[in-house]
Amino acid sequence: MSETLLFLIPLLPLVCAVINMLFGTRLPRLFAETTAVAGVATSALLTLLFWDYSTGEGTRAVLGTWLSSGDLNVAFALNFDKLAAPMTLMVTGVATLIHLYAIGYMHNDRDYARFFGLLNLFVFAMLAIVLADNLLVLFLGWEGVGLCSYGLIGFWYSQTDNARAGTKAFLVTRVGDVFFGIALLWLFALTGTLSITEINAQAASISPGVVIVLTLLLLFGACGKSAQLPLMTWLADAMAGPTPVSALIHAATMVTAGVYLLCRMFPLVSLSAVGMTAITAIGALTALYAATCALAQREIKRVLAYSTMSQVGYMFMAVGAGTVSGAMFHLLTHAFFKALLFMAAGCVIHLAGDENDIFKMGGLARRSPPELFWVFLAGAICLAGVPMTGGFFSKDGVLLALFTHADPLYRIFWLIGVITALLTAFYTFRLVYLVFAGEPRSNAHPHAIPLLMRWPLWPLALLGLAGGLLNLPALAGGGEWLHHWFGDLAGRHVTASHDLEWQLIGLAIALVVIGWAAAHWRYRKFQGERDNALTRFLLEGWRADQLVDLMILRPFHAIAGFCWLGCDRTLFDGTLRGLARQAESSGNLLRRMTTGRLSSYLSAFAWGFLLILGWVLMALIGRGGGH
Amino acid sequence: MTLTALFSQMPWLTLLLALPLVGAILCMLADPEERTSHGLALVTTGLVFAIAVGLFVVYSNGGGGWLLQEDAAWITRYGIRYSLGMDGISLVMVLLTSFLLVIAALAAWPVRRYAPQFLGLLLLLETGLLGIFLAVDLVLFYLFWEIMLIPLFIMIGLWGGEQRRQAAIKFFLYALAGSLAMLIALISLYLLHGDQTGNYTFLLTELVNTELSLTQELWLFAGFMLAFAIKTPLVPFHTWLPDAHAESPESGVVDLTGLLIKTGIFGMIRIAFPLFPAATHQVLPLLGVLALVSLFHAAWGAYRQQDIKRLFAYSSISHVGLILLGLAAWQVTALEGSILLMLTNAVATGALFLLVAMIRQRTGTCQLGELSGLWGQAPNLSALFLLFALSSLGLPGLANFAGEILVLIGTFQTHPVWASLAMVAVVFAAAYILRLVQKVIWGPDCGARLLHDLTPREWLILAPLAILVIWLGLYPAPFLTPLHEPVQLLLGGLP
Repeated sequence: MSETLLFLIPLLPLVCAVINMLFGTRLPRLFAETTAVAGVATSALLTLLFWDYSTGEGTRAVLGTWLSSGDLNVAFALNFDKLAAPMTLMVTGVATLIHLYAIGYMHNDRDYARFFGLLNLFVFAMLAIVLADNLLVLFLGWEGVGLCSYGLIGFWYSQTDNARAGTKAFLVTRVGDVFFGIALLWLFALTGTLSITEINAQAASISPGVVIVLTLLLLFGACGKSAQLPLMTWLADAMAGPTPVSALIHAATMVTAGVYLLCRMFPLVSLSAVGMTAITAIGALTALYAATCALAQREIKRVLAYSTMSQVGYMFMAVGAGTVSGAMFHLLTHAFFKALLFMAAGCVIHLAGDENDIFKMGGLARRSPPELFWVFLAGAICLAGVPMTGGFFSKDGVLLALFTHADPLYRIFWLIGVITALLTAFYTFRLVYLVFAGEPRSNAHPHAIPLLMRWPLWPLALLGLAGGLLNLPALAGGGEWLHHWFGDLAGRHVTASHDLEWQLIGLAIALVVIGWAAAHWRYRKFQGERDNALTRFLLEGWRADQLVDLMILRPFHAIAGFCWLGCDRTLFDGTLRGLARQAESSGNLLRRMTTGRLSSYLSAFAWGFLLILGWVLMALIGRGGGH
Repeated sequence: MTLTALFSQMPWLTLLLALPLVGAILCMLADPEERTSHGLALVTTGLVFAIAVGLFVVYSNGGGGWLLQEDAAWITRYGIRYSLGMDGISLVMVLLTSFLLVIAALAAWPVRRYAPQFLGLLLLLETGLLGIFLAVDLVLFYLFWEIMLIPLFIMIGLWGGEQRRQAAIKFFLYALAGSLAMLIALISLYLLHGDQTGNYTFLLTELVNTELSLTQELWLFAGFMLAFAIKTPLVPFHTWLPDAHAESPESGVVDLTGLLIKTGIFGMIRIAFPLFPAATHQVLPLLGVLALVSLFHAAWGAYRQQDIKRLFAYSSISHVGLILLGLAAWQVTALEGSILLMLTNAVATGALFLLVAMIRQRTGTCQLGELSGLWGQAPNLSALFLLFALSSLGLPGLANFAGEILVLIGTFQTHPVWASLAMVAVVFAAAYILRLVQKVIWGPDCGARLLHDLTPREWLILAPLAILVIWLGLYPAPFLTPLHEPVQLLLGGLP
């Protein structure tokens, strides 16, 4: 089998996207839906089929030249290796389930063709990131997922706020892209190639100072897509999009693209201790920041959005602590349980009669089909880090890596991670209690939940709960499969004495219990919450939006106005008008002299032009005749 | 005689120039009541395009130097020759221009008022544009330069919007100032060369060898560059462009072809740089800075526009900034990227201008505040609008990105700071484009008006442009290959 067939994995969703975009509205709904699901599902199956290609050094495949000029030669090439394979399988697998869920979710929406077209296009772009052999193809996917995210956040465009949220997401992430872009240019100037493998191979020859800057540039690029500080403001607003979109793009896949980028470039990134510390610091701060915000949120999806931000922070910390396998482990388990939580939240919103506000929910345990409660709880205990769930093992791995890092500074990051874990347990159980416990706090008319919105939750619940098996530590009788699978790409192997591990596990259990107990005490019988300055501050995400508005948007608006009104209108055109007035007054003089009607200074100029032309020609003739 | 010999003996370049000229005369004579002139224009532009495609197929791997040449004595007394030549760069420019002129002829279909004259002028404009790309004699170049300007001036002045007179006069004054400067410079160069060698000639290939002091070079260079910078336009010579676009005829035809006055950039590559290498070497850093100023200034200016056509004018100036940055970087990849960006910008922004004309036909306005929620009523139109807008903001996989990334990668090799700053500008491009998209196609439905979606004629106009935008984005190689050797030659000519 030729390795070019690997291109089927990303291209099938693309083809299906194009079909849906061009002909979707003219096709029967069932056909459009089937196309969308089939494209993604086939990709998932192909990934399994081609799995063996990823072993060893991986398999590189080239489709053709994209750009070729001077020293630059960029091909449409992919590299299916040990890092890409699990990620590809996760993306296509989770996407398949979410596509199925989306059929149920969108069954009343007329615009299904645009929806599935964009969703498929997203899967293509995401796979381009995952499989890219060179940075430019990665950038293609990188911007592509941004575009689809933009289009899908603003999917219900007739409400201006939705479209605006999409625009905001595009712009904020693009700020990050600038840094990534500069890193790309610089890397090419340094190494003469854009191939990821070759850049990583040459990384050691780049001077240490430059490596630090490059790492920081890549980090800021990653921050944009992954909604890390300071480019995090877009993610909570992105919840304006349909729930399947939130599950797929803003939980499982796109927001983890930044982590994946750092893992991809790990041989380069890991060369600078400063850069690694910066990555960890950004992750730690974001994890804590987002967790505090999640404490006060009222909309169910915004709670989950902030928790996503926070969990991605853990993944950044893992990369910073030097363990790629730890970051990828948490990335994978998080993808399962967070997609699950979002999709379950979609069901919850359906049942509550399109109510988003958890303060107005309550008592859903009794009204909903019992299975919904159980799958939601499965996702929640993964997120909270209840022992033996996938989330527990992966988060614990990150904390252990931080704790065992040689640099004492990492103990502080570890402490932040621990505090965040406590907050996570608290807000997660707060969410569960507010939604499911007690009496209904409003009498909404629940919608029925289509079958297709129910059963895709089960596989994800199973994957989330059992996800720990992927990289089970020796302590729990596992063999750390993922770490060994990655081989030389896995980064630092985190080892610790069993005593230390037991102590940390004990601490983790204690945190969960405390968090749960606090939530139980506070929210089991919810009487409504009194607003205070702190909750409002947290609810508004530490007022980051106001800050951005004040520090960036308003100055920009003013500068833009100055360029147009100040420079162009007043300065340049004003000068010209002054000249014109001069010309006009001399025209008036002429008019008086000739009594003819000179309605504009145009003819004056035309005559002047002819005069000069004539003069020049005369000079020319004189010269020409002379020789 | 074999077929190949016959092919090589045909005066293809003259044919390229003469066809539109003949077509223009026939159009002017056509019956104004019928659509004869429309048909004539379409046939003429179609023929020219067919020839261009043929030449492209045959010569696109032709290497450096002239691929085709025609030369005849014209005004022997002054050594003026009818001398035409086509290298890889002009080949690509001719192909694109002739293609866009076909689109323009199609887009001119709704023009009914003085249609024969309008289409005649359009064809005359084509002669001027193609002439600029082909002329090797400077007087011939100047002649085509003026032939290009006059139809544009008349078309804005007679068929334009309410403020058309002011806009046309402003355009004329700017153009006049530039033309004069160029004229004086080229005559001075002619005299200097003649005095030096005794051979009075306007041939570019001869004038290159003139020995000039640096001061002389700088003055002459400035004369040419003023004309080119105004036409391009480069900040601070740009304020005529938004007015000209805002007041240009409703059909969007002039906007589309107006974009081809990127001839200014071509003029720099073909004439100013090779003639005055020492001056070029001195001035390139300044050009780079001005290019960056243009890039940012116009992107910011675009953000505050209410009139969509003005916004696109600013966006076009901003793109020009990036193109000139690529020239100023003086590096293979950057230069090729610049030329590619000229093409892609003409296609993407041109398509957007045509779409605005279509939107205006339906809604009667092109003010941002008065439009909203177009997707609900005309999804196909909106989708294409989005596609071209995304290309314009530099989305990878679409046309503009291919040019932009080459410019940026190339520029970074010689001027990392310039390239990094230019990278920052992509955020601002996204800002004004997304603001535009937000206001035009998203948002609540714009009320009771029922707008029809694209008509078959409009599909015929936009579909080729859409295909081209994707093609250039994914596989620009056919358009880059002919550029390789001419660009090497150009770079080799500088100290």
